[in-house]
Parts: sequence; C-alpha cells; structure tokens
Amino acid sequence: MDILLISKYILIIALVIMMFAALRVSAYKTTSMGLLGSSVVVVAFAVALLAFGDLYNLTFYRDISLALIFFGFVGTVAFAVVAGGDK
Amino acid sequence: MVVELIQSILLLIAAFMVIVSAVGLVTLSSDRKNAVYGRIHIVGIFDIACIIAMIGLGQYLLAGIYFILAPFTAHAIANAFYKSEDVENNAELNVVEEDDSNPFIVNKSKIQVLEDKDSEKLKADDRFTISMLDIEEE
Repeated sequence: MDILLISKYILIIALVIMMFAALRVSAYKTTSMGLLGSSVVVVAFAVALLAFGDLYNLTFYRDISLALIFFGFVGTVAFAVVAGGDK
Repeated sequence: MVVELIQSILLLIAAFMVIVSAVGLVTLSSDRKNAVYGRIHIVGIFDIACIIAMIGLGQYLLAGIYFILAPFTAHAIANAFYKSEDVENNAELNVVEEDDSNPFIVNKSKIQVLEDKDSEKLKADDRFTISMLDIEEE
C-alpha cells in the first residue's frame, strides 16, 4: 500500500482526535477558552477537508478549506475584539 | 518517488504534532497559574502542525496565508482574555465590593480619590501640624 495514502489517513485521524480535544477545551468556563476551542475545530476541519479532497481528487474542497480558514480567522478576531472591550 | 516520500514524512510529522498538542490541551490542568495562556501556546504548536500538513499536501499559498494569520488569532484571544477575564494578572478586574460592616474593606477607587494630590480631604488635613514634644524624665 502507498505510504502517502497511509500518512494522509493518519493525519485525518489525528485531526479528528484534535477536534474532540478542542471540543473538550471549549467547554471550560471562560469565554476565551470557547473561542480558542472553536477556532481550533475550524482549522482542524479545514485541514482534514484538504487531506480528504487530496485523497479523492475533489478540487472544490480546497476552496472550502480556504474560506473556512480565512473566515474563521475573521470571526475569531472580531469576537475577541468585542470580548476584550473598549479599554 | 522521492517527493512522495518527503510529503508522507511531512504529513506524519504533522500528525504526530497534532496528537501531542491534543494530549497537551486535554491534560493541562485548570488549577495551574495562567492555564489559558498555556493552552494558547499549545494551540500555536497545532497551528505549525497544520502549516506543515498544508505544505505536505502541496498547498503552499494556503500555508503561507495561515502562517501569517495564526499569530494574530492567538494574540487576539490572549488580549481578550487579559482584558475581560484574567483576574489573576489584571489588577483592574480585581474590584472589591465595599462592606459597611468591615472598615478594612474599602473600594480601590475611593482610596485613590483620597490619595489624590487635589483631594479636598488632604487639603483639609494640611491645616493641622504635627509637633514633636520632648519628654524629659525627671
């Protein structure tokens, strides 16, 4: 079996584990932890989509992951600015 | 063949870093001091793992974009936490509610008003002088 194929599957499994860990982290009591966990989930999902699209030659997955990374960043920063207050 | 080998090595390194950061995120105790900043630091490792994975998957432009964006995210979250929720380090958030029954618990802002140079109370106190009396023992 091709080693590149195996390593892509291993990466996807690792990213799924990371998504569960980030969900656990987002359940901690502070708002910032929820923000951190949700941003990690979004990025992990985007990279998993990249690997999945590479496996099955789905080119539009690349566009979806680009949008997820960019708009996830914008949303996280916007929420952080609002949560930080005016001081 | 060589390119595929390099790609698979990069993906395996990224997977290893992702798992290490996931374990670190879950096992870092909330009782520790500055645990939130520690978790933000761990997420930085995850960000670099994602960048390595993107390079391994051949998405160099996406990796470059995320390499620039990731520190901004971490800084924004840390800044928001410090300004709104970090009671340990941010003295402005340590507001003590005044208790009439206990004369030793006074709001910080009231003390600052009293200690101000232009304070009316301080000017009133300037009318009095302190004299030293020499007590001679017979």
